[in-house]
Amino acid sequence: MDLQYSSDGIHVRELDLWLDPQISKPTAWISHAHSDHARGYSKTLIGTPATLELYRMRWPEDSDQPQRLIALEYEQSLDWHGAKLTCYPAGHILGAAQLLVEFGGQRLVYTGDIKLKAPLCGAATEIVPCDRLILESTFGLPIYHFLSRDEARDEIVNFARECLEEGATPAFLGYPLGRGQEVAYALGQAGIPLAVHGAIAKFLPDYERAGYSVPGWEPLDSKQVQGKAVVVVPGMRRLLEATGKDIRIAYVSGWARLDNARLRAGAEKLIPYSDHCSYAELIEMVSATGARHVDVIHGYTEAFAGILRERGIHAEAPAYARSRASEEEGVAQE
Amino acid sequence: MSATFDHLAEVLDRIANTSSRNRKLGVLADWLSALPDADLERGARFLCGEPVAGTGDRKLSIGHSILREAAVAATGFPIELFRLCHREVGDTSETIALLMEGKSAGESLSLAEAEQAYLRLFAERKTALKVELLQGMLERMRPKTTKYFLKVITGNFRIGMQQKLVEDALARATGAKLAEVRDAANRTGDLAQVARAARAGTLAALEMKLFHPLEFMLARPLDDVEDLVEPESWWVEDKYDGIRSQVHTDGGKVRIFTRGMEDTTAAFPDVVEALVGLPGSAVVDGELLAWREGRALNFTVLQQRLARKKVDASLIDKVPVVFVAYDLLYRDGALLLDAAIETRRQKLESLFEGVGLPLMVSRQWRLSSREALEETFTGARIRGNEGLLLKKTGSLYESAKRSAEWLKVKRPYGTLDVVVTAAEQGSGRRATLLSDYTFAVKDGERFLNVGKAYSGLTDDEIRELTRLLRSISKERFGRVTLVEPKVVLEVAFDGVQKSPRHKCGYALRFPRIVRWRKDKEASEIDGLERVRELYERSLA
Repeated sequence: MDLQYSSDGIHVRELDLWLDPQISKPTAWISHAHSDHARGYSKTLIGTPATLELYRMRWPEDSDQPQRLIALEYEQSLDWHGAKLTCYPAGHILGAAQLLVEFGGQRLVYTGDIKLKAPLCGAATEIVPCDRLILESTFGLPIYHFLSRDEARDEIVNFARECLEEGATPAFLGYPLGRGQEVAYALGQAGIPLAVHGAIAKFLPDYERAGYSVPGWEPLDSKQVQGKAVVVVPGMRRLLEATGKDIRIAYVSGWARLDNARLRAGAEKLIPYSDHCSYAELIEMVSATGARHVDVIHGYTEAFAGILRERGIHAEAPAYARSRASEEEGVAQE
Repeated sequence: MSATFDHLAEVLDRIANTSSRNRKLGVLADWLSALPDADLERGARFLCGEPVAGTGDRKLSIGHSILREAAVAATGFPIELFRLCHREVGDTSETIALLMEGKSAGESLSLAEAEQAYLRLFAERKTALKVELLQGMLERMRPKTTKYFLKVITGNFRIGMQQKLVEDALARATGAKLAEVRDAANRTGDLAQVARAARAGTLAALEMKLFHPLEFMLARPLDDVEDLVEPESWWVEDKYDGIRSQVHTDGGKVRIFTRGMEDTTAAFPDVVEALVGLPGSAVVDGELLAWREGRALNFTVLQQRLARKKVDASLIDKVPVVFVAYDLLYRDGALLLDAAIETRRQKLESLFEGVGLPLMVSRQWRLSSREALEETFTGARIRGNEGLLLKKTGSLYESAKRSAEWLKVKRPYGTLDVVVTAAEQGSGRRATLLSDYTFAVKDGERFLNVGKAYSGLTDDEIRELTRLLRSISKERFGRVTLVEPKVVLEVAFDGVQKSPRHKCGYALRFPRIVRWRKDKEASEIDGLERVRELYERSLA
């Protein structure tokens, strides 16, 4: 398959199919609903039902830009210009999927953002055997190791309980779609009273419909945080601290693996849990798919491609620029 | 059965992950109190970043490059990859621990075994063999333990655990009084010994040990003369612009320690020769100054002495140095920290009675009124000194404390509005932030660098500035980012000196950031002629 990389996105030329294009294109596959992947008004959009629904919340219908949305369930296939497209869970956020493209006797897998270990919310990732793999490497250095979902849940819940026992307010920083809901889910399921910031709360119904209910959550009122855990976007930290209450900040993120995240995020508690693959998971992904050819497209691309080459895999880091959307974990936070 | 280093690592991790001092204290005290006696000593020592007991001046001699070499050997990762990882992490011990994940046997390590390992590393003088020993340790122990095992060697935990917290925890764990633990730690400089004595209830029996530096008492700045309470109850001395030093003498043996607890004896043979003549034993607090014709010379002159490895007669002649004594902490077996300033002063004067240059005693007198302060201050400046020190009558020597009983009156030599031209990543907790700023003044259309500053801003400001600087970056060389000259800072400094380091030919002394001037543009900053003017003024 002829793949072309540009700042517009990845183009499968023979099929005229764009993978996570940055601007509107005739046909686009969107791997998940983060705004650095799902953007613009492509004429035809293919994605999982959950992804399309979340996409619509951010890019509402516009009569000037008619679109056709094609929903593809996990494990379902679609014939497309002589190719077979099949979608598989990617574990990154609700609805996130990998795309298998079978064409001309070749199997290509585009992972989008992916997490191999089971997430707190969402379907577990499947390994899809393929010849060529397009893989993200957000955490593609051997320093990145993450907690499992059970360990992360325990850390989140224990920190909240400890703070509440001492009369302090635990505050969890997470970006609006994905992490925020997972933290809220962990807290809610443990019976901890919690208040959720609006930017995160607006996606909670989608998570609850998908079976991840958050009992007893209420909208955040920064004047009324006593006795509750709060889940907020990172930008809210200073506002919370300005209330003069005893606010204890926890940072749940892959970046929390490094001690310097404490100052970067202004947090005292670091919980290294990510919705991306750790370094070991990335290595495992590559080896389990059996891919002989890997394109590494995000994060430490050069370094990670080099590591794969050492292992005898044909790996490249094609020049490719995805938009910087600061809400997502895929973008290193300052 | 020895307690494990693995458990210590968990304890330190918990301390890192809370900002509550009380919780840190609780966790540490619980751990200490459960330790058997032998481990209590080891634990206390490791907590102070001291791997090996009683080594005096000798160090473990293990720096970044040895650690890196051992890590590369143990992980099999290429050195370029190690460098990239280290740049992201900002701390060598942490980088190595993260890289060892999944690559070690994961065996438990007892405190006794850790001590053995440190001793072997200490005893081995050959670098290659140190590397080999370290590699073996890395391959053996748990990565989470590795992080702190190495941090004991590098001597900096950076987890918000000061020695005071450890002393506090020791007191709580042993039931000893905190003040007694602190006192004993100060007297002996040996927390392991203090831990043992605290548990045995024999703290009072620990004797003062000479030739290890006691913590200095520090002064608070008095910004506004109006803030001075009871103006008539203060002793006044000139504040010298030299090197704060602590002299230990005992029957001909002399050591001089600086604020950084460094032994600087070798740089001042002329002063040492004079100190040898002092009777009995003593610990004296004072200042080393370059001195000629009855007045102190600029600090720059004194620096010439420090810069040289070998101090010979011609240098001594060119840069004569004096030691100005101003406090006495110990005399002939008696620790004087808890004696009133008047008593200490009287003993100091009698110790130095009849001695001449290069030794002298700082002149001290009573302040008569608030109004007299201004005139006194000007007098000190005329005498070539930095300002004044006010010491409360009846005050004690509060070791290690920035006390309100000592006040310093000084004013910055000047301030400049400058523009940031480059920024550098900090280290440790500031590893990923741009926290060190190179700044420039205007020279026509050009900007010429004149200094570098890294203190004065809050963490929040540094974060905000980092984002802004990244958005106006021009080029990056490793840790340094060149930026468009847009950000204006007001910097204060203590002097201007000629320097080949910067293109403009001058450098500022102790530049620190006063504030971020968001209201100013680069075109409004100070020019080179202003720097030149300030330099000329310092010569006058």
